[in-house]
Amino acid sequence: MAAILVSLVILLPWLGAITVWLVRNEHPRLQHILAVVFSILTAIASLVLLTAATSETVIHIPLGKAFGDLTFVPDGLAVSLTAIAAVIGSLAVVFSVDYMRGDEQLGRYYFLVLFFIGAMTGLVLSGNLLFTFFFWEITALCSYGLISFYNDDPKAVAGGMKALIITQVGGVGLLVGTLIAFVNLGSFQISDLLAKASTLPAVSLSLIAFSFLIAAAAKSAQFPFHTWLPDAMEAPTPVSALIHAATMVNAGIYLLARFYPAFEVVPGWKMSVLLVGLISALIAALSALVATDLKRVLAYSTVSQLGYMVYAIGAGGVLASQFHLLSHAVFKALLFLAAGSVIHSVGTRDMRRMGALGSRMPLVRNVFMIGALALAGVPILNGFWSKEYILEAGLEHSPVWAYAIMLFGAGLTAFYTFRMVWLVFFGRERDQLNVHQAGSAMKFSLRILALGSFITWLFFGGLSGLLSTTLPFHALEHESTLELVSAILSAPATWFALLVVALGFGLSWVRARGFVLFGGSWLNPFVDTSFGFEWVNDLVVQGISRFAERLRATQTGELNWNIFGIVSALLVVLVVLWMGA
Amino acid sequence: MNLLTFSGLIAIPLIASPLVYLAGRVGTHEATLHRRSFLVRGLALLAVLISWLPFSVAVQKFYMYGVQKFNIETIWLRVDGISLLMAGCVLFLGTLVILFSGSYMAGEVGEEKYYAMLLAMMGLMIGLVSASDIFNLWVWFEGMAISSYLLVAFYREQPASLEAGMKYLVQSATGSVLVLMGIALVLAQVGTLDMAEIAEAVLRSSVNRSSLLGAGALFVIGFGVKVALVPLHTWLPDAHSQAPSGISAMLSGVVIEIGLIAMLRTLAVLTGFALSWGIILMAFGTLNILYGNLLALRQTVVKRMLAYSSLSHMGYVLLGLGIALYAGIDLGAQGAFFHLFNHMLMKGLAFLSVGALMYGLFLQNGSHAALKVNDLAGAAQKYPLVALAFSIAVLGLGGMPPLAGFMSKWQIFVAGFETQNNWIVALMIIMALNSVLSLGYYAPLVNLMYRKEASQQVLAGKPLTLTIALPLIVMSLLIIVLGFFPNLINWLTVPAGAELMKMFGS
Repeated sequence: MAAILVSLVILLPWLGAITVWLVRNEHPRLQHILAVVFSILTAIASLVLLTAATSETVIHIPLGKAFGDLTFVPDGLAVSLTAIAAVIGSLAVVFSVDYMRGDEQLGRYYFLVLFFIGAMTGLVLSGNLLFTFFFWEITALCSYGLISFYNDDPKAVAGGMKALIITQVGGVGLLVGTLIAFVNLGSFQISDLLAKASTLPAVSLSLIAFSFLIAAAAKSAQFPFHTWLPDAMEAPTPVSALIHAATMVNAGIYLLARFYPAFEVVPGWKMSVLLVGLISALIAALSALVATDLKRVLAYSTVSQLGYMVYAIGAGGVLASQFHLLSHAVFKALLFLAAGSVIHSVGTRDMRRMGALGSRMPLVRNVFMIGALALAGVPILNGFWSKEYILEAGLEHSPVWAYAIMLFGAGLTAFYTFRMVWLVFFGRERDQLNVHQAGSAMKFSLRILALGSFITWLFFGGLSGLLSTTLPFHALEHESTLELVSAILSAPATWFALLVVALGFGLSWVRARGFVLFGGSWLNPFVDTSFGFEWVNDLVVQGISRFAERLRATQTGELNWNIFGIVSALLVVLVVLWMGA
Repeated sequence: MNLLTFSGLIAIPLIASPLVYLAGRVGTHEATLHRRSFLVRGLALLAVLISWLPFSVAVQKFYMYGVQKFNIETIWLRVDGISLLMAGCVLFLGTLVILFSGSYMAGEVGEEKYYAMLLAMMGLMIGLVSASDIFNLWVWFEGMAISSYLLVAFYREQPASLEAGMKYLVQSATGSVLVLMGIALVLAQVGTLDMAEIAEAVLRSSVNRSSLLGAGALFVIGFGVKVALVPLHTWLPDAHSQAPSGISAMLSGVVIEIGLIAMLRTLAVLTGFALSWGIILMAFGTLNILYGNLLALRQTVVKRMLAYSSLSHMGYVLLGLGIALYAGIDLGAQGAFFHLFNHMLMKGLAFLSVGALMYGLFLQNGSHAALKVNDLAGAAQKYPLVALAFSIAVLGLGGMPPLAGFMSKWQIFVAGFETQNNWIVALMIIMALNSVLSLGYYAPLVNLMYRKEASQQVLAGKPLTLTIALPLIVMSLLIIVLGFFPNLINWLTVPAGAELMKMFGS
């Protein structure tokens, strides 16, 4: 049963991808319908799979020494992420029916989206590190293809390339870690690595742990690889919601959570994870304060929220990170899709040109505000519970200064969230923008996700149960939703955090009304260069391409030099051989 | 001599070659020109299709009885895992190239020479990989080289094509001379040319080790010219980009690899003393990867870019082989041969796709211009199949899953890490980062093709024919299938890897 479901959640979207592509672009209606049908079937299969979660291997295909055994293990961590990917994937596809209407290259669009969904489920379900890497790279490929979907726009192409190259560099970390594990264990199985981590030489284990941290940071757009995600916003908005908010960027969090039991003993690893999360959360929140592109604000906030999850893992809160991952996936997808409706309708992403749109698109305003409140961590929305849960874990298991910075980050989040909502939906009208109403498919997705932002925290008990029963190495305690509620409501820290959030709102409101208490323009140069890391990227890219250009001089095209090359190589080889003898 | 055995695989193309030529020359009547051209193509295709029969028989025999020895008169040949793999590559790519060339070369002056030379080259290459003494090996090698010179300089009206042919000729001949000197040195020392006998003789104490090492260096460099080891590679970018596209595919897909096999065969007899040949191979492999990638990065002519990328892919193969020889890891040999096969598929597909575009955009409009990177813009609108095939080829070359290139690079990585040698592990990381770097020039090609705004050239493009499309479909499918099921090709690559390990006695 579980084996069939696992095959379905990977192969159904892939089958859909091929079918939609084969239908060809002459039949856009059929393409829309097929994409929706296949993605919804996948979502249903993924929800049924939740009930079949097990720590056992359900599919097992030996592939020889170099590739290990292809296995799939639908444990709690895997099935919950599968459900997120498939359900939000299907909502993004439904949303696309309106959003992508009239586009000429639907076949390519849906192919990549559906291919991505299958790869994402494969990534989390795989029990073999090679295939984790395999699916990992496919998600990068789809992400690249979709970011640069509008190939005529040089910014889109550059954004796609940047995302591809940076995540691939991170991918080398996953490759190296996997192979070090393989050399020591003789196996690619994730369960073997988890079970035998303590028998590995300390050096090997810490190499694996830090290689994986690099891979995770690159994939989840964490410091110092955070530069690619804001540029990835050139993708069609449903893709931003699905890949760059709800699923693919979570792969890094998944990797850290998956191997936490093996790596927690590595000296310095937890602290490094904590710092990566903390720095990312802070600098991204600062960037979001001054960004003027609606999607970029959301992108920064994604980096920041992912930073919270990474921080949680660094503080030992695997369950907290997964809980926030669930909340974030839902409310951020909602925010992106609602932002997509706004952008689709007014034709710009620049918030400085928007304003007072709320009265003209009330539904979008309402759902966007629900998402925004969840992002800011206002009760009783899902973001409130999960963020408080993370902060609680942080307070208990991380240094106080780290906790204080994360708390400050929560205030910043409230500040930029309010600013964003105000600029788009309230205040005065700054530009004469034509408003089209959102289509019914769009509204459908928005309503579901808005509902989700209210209720997904109720699934905490279920998530906790899944994780505690099917992850033998994590040794998580089962906690019910009721216990969560009472723990959070009774903690004084919660009220303190709410105070900080309220302060963020308040300051932002005051500022929106024209009372500027402090300037923010000093932040701009930092944000424009991603806190200096854009320079590093440029340095590498420019350096390599300049060096490559210079190297062209060695290809003289003159026969004499060519023969000289042959003769001198002969001499070198002769000398090396005689010296070696 | 039985044509159904492996010798048929060599003989059929070699016999067909003059027949095809004659068929194209007999009668000079203008009116029959078209029919003659059709006859030439048909005969060539028939010849390669028939050749599949002895190939499959040879594979069966190999699996039943192991290594086979047989003779054509006094020339002894030996069919082992490596011969089978390479023969398979030559035959597979040759068949598709001949099919592809049907429309591509139609109406060119000297069409019959093209097919005659191509068939001869195929027969000679298969002969080379099964040669069992080093002088014969050299003769086959020269034969292959001569037929390839003519193919590179096929467009004899084009100055660039002649220049490329000239450089190729001079550099390749330099290499051949070095090889011949190496053979002379070996013969002087051990008094025999048979590979198996040499391998035993070199271990005797009476031989002069340093002159044998000199012979080894001559082999490395001599054959290395053909393999395009950096810095002996300088002929390759010109030759591969100026040749007709089918020939570019053959050159990059099999000819340089055949040079590598020749090198390995000769080095194998000189083992057992001095340092491992693996070190030399790894050194050149690293150099090739770095140099090939960096030079490809800034190219504006598509075929030149692909030619440079062949340098780096030979580098991956060399690294895999070097690891196998240096550390005795058979996975390295298997991975290298798997990558060699995949490179044949992917680079063959890339060159044929570019050829298809050149056919549609230029040849049909009577031009022999080179395809620039910017000409690709919007190609997907008019040529969706070619754009997809080319994307699969370049992304596969860049090592993206689920394409074949990912799996073979992976296998080499596994082998490299298995050595547990820090230097080799560092090389593996360099190799992985270079794979990422290579996407820096592959991926923009894909972006360009899927633009909505098409280039002038694409707008003026003419439709393609079925015989051009068919090879692209076959190769694209294979690349995807091997990306998911890498084990499907084990029947060819594993015996080849095992043979290599046996040859080098580890």
